[in-house]
Amino acid sequence: MFRAQLTRLTGRLAALSATAILLAACGGGGGGGTSPPVAPPPPPAPPTSAELADASRFAAQATFGLDYDAIYALAEAGKGSWLNAQFNTPVTRHTPLVYELVARREAGEFEDFEEDIEYLILSRRIAWWHHTVTANDVLRQRVAFALSEILVVSDNVDTLLIYPDALSTYYDLLLDNAFGNYRDILRGVSLHPAMGFYLSHINNAKSNPANNTFPDENYAREVMQLFSIGLFELNNDGSQKLDAGEPIPTYSNVEIREFAKIFTGLSWGGPAAFFGREAPNFSVPMQMFDAAHEPGPKNLLNGTVVPAGQSGIEDIDAAIDNLFNHPNVGPFIGKQLIQRLVTSNPSPAYVERVANAFNDNGSGVRGDMRAVLRAVLLDQEATASADPATTFGKLREPVVRYAAMLRQLGATSDDGYIFNTGYFIQELGKQHPLSSPSVFNFFLPAHSPAGEISDAGLVAPEFQIVTSNSIVGMTNLVDFAVSADYVTDAPPPFAQVSLTYADYMPLADDVPLLVDRLNLVMTANSLDPAAVAAIESVVADVDDLNFRVRVAVYMVLVSADYAVRL
Amino acid sequence: MITRRKFLSHSCSLGLATATVSTSLLSLGMARTAAAQSAPNYKALVCVLLAGGNDSYNMLVPLDNGQYAEYSAIRSDLALEQSALLGLPGTASNGLAYGLHPGMPELRDLFENGDAAMIANVGTLLEAFDADAVENGTARLPLGLFSHADQINQWQTAAPDRRIADGWGGRIADLMQDVNLANGVSMNISLSGSNVFQSGNQVGEYSIEASGDGAPGVNAYDDGTEFGAFRKRMVDELLAVQQQNIFRREYSRRLRSAIDAQAVFVDAIGTAPTLTTSFSANYFSQALRQIARVIGARDALGANRQTFFVTVGGWDHHDDVLDNQAAMLPMISAGLKEFRDALVELQVFDEVTTFTTSDFGRTLTSNGKGSDHGWGGHHVVMGGSVDGGSIYGDYPLLSASSPLDVGRGVYAPTTSVDEYFAELATWFGVPAADLDLVLPNVRSFYTPGSAEPPIGFLTA
Repeated sequence: MFRAQLTRLTGRLAALSATAILLAACGGGGGGGTSPPVAPPPPPAPPTSAELADASRFAAQATFGLDYDAIYALAEAGKGSWLNAQFNTPVTRHTPLVYELVARREAGEFEDFEEDIEYLILSRRIAWWHHTVTANDVLRQRVAFALSEILVVSDNVDTLLIYPDALSTYYDLLLDNAFGNYRDILRGVSLHPAMGFYLSHINNAKSNPANNTFPDENYAREVMQLFSIGLFELNNDGSQKLDAGEPIPTYSNVEIREFAKIFTGLSWGGPAAFFGREAPNFSVPMQMFDAAHEPGPKNLLNGTVVPAGQSGIEDIDAAIDNLFNHPNVGPFIGKQLIQRLVTSNPSPAYVERVANAFNDNGSGVRGDMRAVLRAVLLDQEATASADPATTFGKLREPVVRYAAMLRQLGATSDDGYIFNTGYFIQELGKQHPLSSPSVFNFFLPAHSPAGEISDAGLVAPEFQIVTSNSIVGMTNLVDFAVSADYVTDAPPPFAQVSLTYADYMPLADDVPLLVDRLNLVMTANSLDPAAVAAIESVVADVDDLNFRVRVAVYMVLVSADYAVRL
Repeated sequence: MITRRKFLSHSCSLGLATATVSTSLLSLGMARTAAAQSAPNYKALVCVLLAGGNDSYNMLVPLDNGQYAEYSAIRSDLALEQSALLGLPGTASNGLAYGLHPGMPELRDLFENGDAAMIANVGTLLEAFDADAVENGTARLPLGLFSHADQINQWQTAAPDRRIADGWGGRIADLMQDVNLANGVSMNISLSGSNVFQSGNQVGEYSIEASGDGAPGVNAYDDGTEFGAFRKRMVDELLAVQQQNIFRREYSRRLRSAIDAQAVFVDAIGTAPTLTTSFSANYFSQALRQIARVIGARDALGANRQTFFVTVGGWDHHDDVLDNQAAMLPMISAGLKEFRDALVELQVFDEVTTFTTSDFGRTLTSNGKGSDHGWGGHHVVMGGSVDGGSIYGDYPLLSASSPLDVGRGVYAPTTSVDEYFAELATWFGVPAADLDLVLPNVRSFYTPGSAEPPIGFLTA
């Protein structure tokens, strides 16, 4: 009975659209799942429902979302060996696709559309969405995104928007090192030209007493405040050390000015490099020009003095060591990784276990990301059974909700690309990867919404971008994709993306089974029983099986039960 | 040439469908009730946050030769040309003349006409600045001085000794919300999403957009069609679930109130008079235009008091401060003038006070390309109730040996944010007895209920 209404709805939406986005036929039907079933070694027994739910919950923490087959495979493999397999899965870098698109553009392939569409600007976004939805290194892609929300650069700065490889090379740095060592991440970020441009330490000159100029303090401050040690001395469990009841600052403006001297002398690298060069080159790290580097000793943290006479790069390495070896880094970065991947309010004991793994991977190595990720994802607190009565869990970010929708509902297109400019999610959800308004990301780790959550002494970072506007926007994003096939805004000549619902169409004539499967895959069986009853009762009134699946998906994806994962 | 504008226009051309929700009988009824209850003495505060830390020592600059010479020596390559400054009539409290950035002719006109005033060297303080106490370590200083995250929050919380979630505009709304009709649309309306300033313990912000009618609804929800009724059922049955989890409860509550308030809001803004004042196309002007429209709909909204919040980002000019300010300050200046004209057209200019805030001022010394994080900075207030044409507060005498200089030309504030905000809150109607609730640190600088106002730039 609702088929006609659906048609009218989609017709209305299409009429509102300035460009014709062809509505995909609501074909549906089975077959064509995106991940082929893994042929397991002789399994002892198929996973139980509880094991599948556990695997689904783990997948929501460790990936941008897995579909049923991949969840099943994870349940069979076990978390530990799944993690090991992911650690050994080759990296899918984003820059090669960016360069491919740039080359195709230069060859004239997009000329017919360039009046309206800036392919150069969009290519890194297109690459992000395509790889995030399709790549096999699902853990690495998710961890790189988490890192990109801690070590923030953004295309809200024009140069980083206009140069297509500015942010793709930066993201590749995070991908390459996601399972490496945090020191390499900190060093690589400090020398990456996107960061140099974003926090203005590129072309940062030494002091000039004659002109009364001093080194730029921007990067010096943020590398300490945000990327390594934070504002206050921490215990290993993430709590603040106190002195007479007051937190103890980790540094003052005096140290910032010393670190500002460290980050002088860097400019664009590559051919024809010189200090003060204005023309960007994002394909290689920044290059040090010692003549522009502040001479003299520098007083770093904890009494460390960098002697006069070192090269600029030696100074930077000394400063990176100084920060990396500060006892705050483990709890400071570890807690944020827990918050990004697992839960907003980890216990001090959980933070401490992760910090311990950061401090020593068991073989005496500090900063080993594999050890940190194992500690984050396999912790007893993360794996304990979900309980809505506790405060464990977190709000899903808009970007993660959107990516999961594409990954779990069988996004497909005629040309094999899952392209997206990200405009829908940026407008409706107020978030897009590497597009935050400032170096403080879209939300702060300590954001505590006034009211019940703040009164309980809890934080809920992601709620910082949930407004009366964006919460409706996210609800409508689901509707555009599910009801109207506005799944992405793949720019022409690329094919439009549609959702196949391949996992769900075969279940459409059995309402409880359909809702049960969605509950498992989307929420790890954490839908409130009353929500299950509500969805079943509404869905049961829809006769058209195709529409029924879409209504069921809509209801699950807009529910508070899905928005907040336990 | 590749520009952000082209990128955005591309995006727009993809035609993100904006749902329009037809007027429901229910919300029409509410609007009528609201109009009946609207009180005559409407007032609004409009907070403009220049996020990132405006280099305001290049917005309000010494004009007098001696002080200009000091300014020029300290600012080095960041100094503006003396001859380009837009001189303001009169003098500051120190008897010296000052001028505005050359890109702000409209603000100069507003100042000359008495519609706007400047407040010099405002910043976060826990106690009056004492250079000796800072030197010997006994001074009580704001947490995280010079850090964006702390300072941008403290300008909104007015609590520089704590990290709290609620802002002074939110606390005002907690106190005063009963003067507005309880229809789900908050007293505090944001053009820039969630923010600390407008977060109270009971009242949060209502977020709207600068475009369209400001508040898109859930697609098709209760739109009078059969499908609209079905969509309402889908959403309502989910929102009726009694959530056990605290975060799910919060999400559910927010979605429910967003849906309910949206219907009221869109109906109300439809009653706003059409403005003949034209606004520039940039975001700031468009946000101010939308604020003017909401003010025009105040009767339909049943609003007797409102605060508005708009953020203009991108002021963290460690690099290229001269070029960037030359591009951005004119937008502020022109936007304020347009907003003034629209409020005059709506005959509410006396009832609306607009004020700027920012993370901090910046170092007067240069890093060779721009300036770094500072402390005190200058601000603009505008409105028919502003006793305009004056520079309030104390503009510091610039000198390499100024006792206010805490290093690298960072000037300690000579007026606290508490004094600044106490003046605004009192005008807005916060009783003297409640000022401590709104501004917990106010007594370090001002005794509520005093015969003298905190600063004196507003008239009742």
